[in-house]
Amino acid sequence: MEAPPVSVLPITGGTISMMEYLLQGSVLDQALESLLHRLRGLCDNMEPETFADHELVYLLKGQQGNPFLLRARRSLSHPTVPWHLRYLGQPEVGDKSRHALVRNCVDVAASHSLPDFLNEMGFRMDHEFVAKGHIFRKGVLKVVVSKLSRILVPENTENTEPLSLSYLVELSVLVPAGQDTMSEDMRSFAEQLKPLVHLEKIDPKRHM
Amino acid sequence: MSGSGPAVRVSIESSCEKQVQEVSLDGMETYVPPLSMSQNLAKLAQRIDFGQGSDSDEEGAETEPRDPQEWGKQEPEEDEATVKFQPSLWPWDSVRNNLRSSLTEMCVLYDVLSVVKEKKYMALDPVSQDPSAGKTPQVFQLISKKKSLATAAQLLLKGADKLSKSVAENQENRRQRDFNSELLRLRSQWKLRKVGDKILGDLSYRSAGSLFPHAGTFEVIKNTDIDLDKKLPEDYCPLNVQIPSDLEGSAYIKVSIQKQAPDIGDLGTVSLFRRQPKAKAGTQPWHVKLEAAQNVLLCKEIFAQLSREAVQIKSQIPHIVVKNQIISQPFPGLQLSISLCHSTGEKKNQRASPEKPKPDDHLYVLEHNLHQLMREFHKQTLSSIVMPHPASAPFGHKRQRMAGPMAYDKAEISNLQQNEGLLEKIIKQAKHIFLRSRTARTIDSLASRIEDPQIQAHWSNINDVYESSVKVLITSQGYEQICKSIQLQLNIGVEQIRVVHRDGRVITLSHQEQELQDFLLSQMSQHQVHAVQQLAKVMGWHVLSFSNHVGLGSVESIGNASAITVASSNGEYAISVRNGPESGCKVLVQFPRSQSKELPKSDVIQDGKWNHLRGPYKEVHWSKMEGRNFVYKMELLMAALTPCP
Repeated sequence: MEAPPVSVLPITGGTISMMEYLLQGSVLDQALESLLHRLRGLCDNMEPETFADHELVYLLKGQQGNPFLLRARRSLSHPTVPWHLRYLGQPEVGDKSRHALVRNCVDVAASHSLPDFLNEMGFRMDHEFVAKGHIFRKGVLKVVVSKLSRILVPENTENTEPLSLSYLVELSVLVPAGQDTMSEDMRSFAEQLKPLVHLEKIDPKRHM
Repeated sequence: MSGSGPAVRVSIESSCEKQVQEVSLDGMETYVPPLSMSQNLAKLAQRIDFGQGSDSDEEGAETEPRDPQEWGKQEPEEDEATVKFQPSLWPWDSVRNNLRSSLTEMCVLYDVLSVVKEKKYMALDPVSQDPSAGKTPQVFQLISKKKSLATAAQLLLKGADKLSKSVAENQENRRQRDFNSELLRLRSQWKLRKVGDKILGDLSYRSAGSLFPHAGTFEVIKNTDIDLDKKLPEDYCPLNVQIPSDLEGSAYIKVSIQKQAPDIGDLGTVSLFRRQPKAKAGTQPWHVKLEAAQNVLLCKEIFAQLSREAVQIKSQIPHIVVKNQIISQPFPGLQLSISLCHSTGEKKNQRASPEKPKPDDHLYVLEHNLHQLMREFHKQTLSSIVMPHPASAPFGHKRQRMAGPMAYDKAEISNLQQNEGLLEKIIKQAKHIFLRSRTARTIDSLASRIEDPQIQAHWSNINDVYESSVKVLITSQGYEQICKSIQLQLNIGVEQIRVVHRDGRVITLSHQEQELQDFLLSQMSQHQVHAVQQLAKVMGWHVLSFSNHVGLGSVESIGNASAITVASSNGEYAISVRNGPESGCKVLVQFPRSQSKELPKSDVIQDGKWNHLRGPYKEVHWSKMEGRNFVYKMELLMAALTPCP
């Protein structure tokens, strides 16, 4: 029996809709140390935090064209911490002068039975990967430097191989919908990282 | 062979090689003096045209006709010599000539020197000067001396000019280097970054975790208003910082507790200002300025946080926020005021005249605690429990993230959140401080007012911001070892005082001053009766009855009266004591029947032994009794009533 039709409704009532502002870039492996040093200096003064996550991407193919995509992520370094389920909407086509990619974002913490639940709901796992790296913060800005690895054997997170010889750098902020002050701050922060890494808004549509 | 013929005179004459210059009228021939070596050489050298190269033949042809003429005269000797002087023959010719001439010069010099030194063949003789030639007119001498002096002076002046210019340049260079070294020193202590051609710095607590929206940027400028000619002032610094205008001056937060002001008309006019401390001698002026600005920023942040909480948090008695002051009521009749005192450095604006200094009720401890609480709050935003795992999760406390999966209800979630803000904490601390000081005052006033029994307070050194403790002992002077039954441990909290008695009772007193005083008074009166009990044990008397709270007699307004009856060892005498906090003490002595006079003789009692029983009571004039305190008097009484064996 095929999955029942899913109509994507706007999220209403009760929750504050959050928008995610995103800038992305990448650095080669050799340049990682200098990037980490600079981030350590620019960001808040905390002990450097590393992470190891395993992300699964679930798709729900409805009768309409676009499948519905959900991202489920768990921490490999902290196994008891709840899973994180994320929905990212389409990037907002606002004015072109906005420096960051803006999209609707819904974040939910979930217990460890999340994959089974999604399977029962009709989602099918599209792909999975392991991300390892460092995470920094500056106020409300979050900078994640991660190395993505492909999982060779399904369900086995030990057996991975890196996807590329570089690290993905992401600068993101979560703000309630309506506030538009963050893109300037993001741009000035990205300027400070300029010669090491160029952070820019990358439209995922164009790369599909 | 032996001289036979006449001697033939043979005269030898050198051939006349010299040229005849002229023949005078008397036949004398004047010879041209022969050329010396150098002269000869010079003459020959003159003939050489050095400008002529090996390829210019016409010049050679020009000199040719001249040369053969002279060659013809001196051809035999100079044939070989002339051949040497042809320039086209040899490139080293001129070199060789130069060397030769230098050799000649050296020989001449050597000859002169040997003549001077050895004086064998020739001697140098001074030539007598013409005396008339040495006498120059004095004016001429003066002028010549002046001229020479002027030349020398000019040279010296030029030199001095150059020197002063170089010194000035050096100083300028040093100032340049000083700016850079100052900048380096500044950078070692403050965050700087370069934006365009300006140097900006950050003096806010943003990087330490603050969320205050003030940018806190300052600009570093070079101090160029310096006059090179004037002497540099002592505190000259090549670097100057420009701080934002609203952070100028200095500020502090004043926390004080006062009796409630009857009128609220003059709220918000707290302008009493304490003099700012003098900066340490070694610190740079920019450091002092930046630190003061940072302090102002922190005080502003604290005050903003406090006023935000004062407005938002609902409490039973609302807090008043007026201008730069927050007023709240911790206890009825009491007023806690927290104010931000910011002075921009202009002394004329101080309205509160310093001639009438108010008593300093500024609670410095609370001001310090406010700063510490703010910094702790900053540190919390930087702690790693906020970092998300997995990395894509939003920032937030990790326990809050469990709320969804663990299905927390509203009560649990509200427990998770920090429900005490800065203002509440400070009010609690202020309440505790006030309660503690009032308790101490109560105990001290009682101790000074009442001499018998004595009250001792031992305060513990280690306290909490919300709790302190004191041990109160009630003793009689001289009998501390015997009468130590009243020992109280007081735990002073935020709003209540908890008393733990030695016998295990726990009593909770409110913040009212009167309650504590009444309680202590009642304990003191109980102590007297307890003391009699202990004394009786020592003296050998028997305790017949003892009650902490007697139900007989007049009702005391404070506490209850206590009473004890003790009998002597042989039973003849008995002492009854009733002590109340208000009614004082009453001591009665019971005598044996044989000693009382007012008993009527009756024939019911026939046996004489009944006379040994105790009979009527008699009151003791306690105030006229000898002895410095109650227990001493009691001991004397007991001793007086104890019969000698």
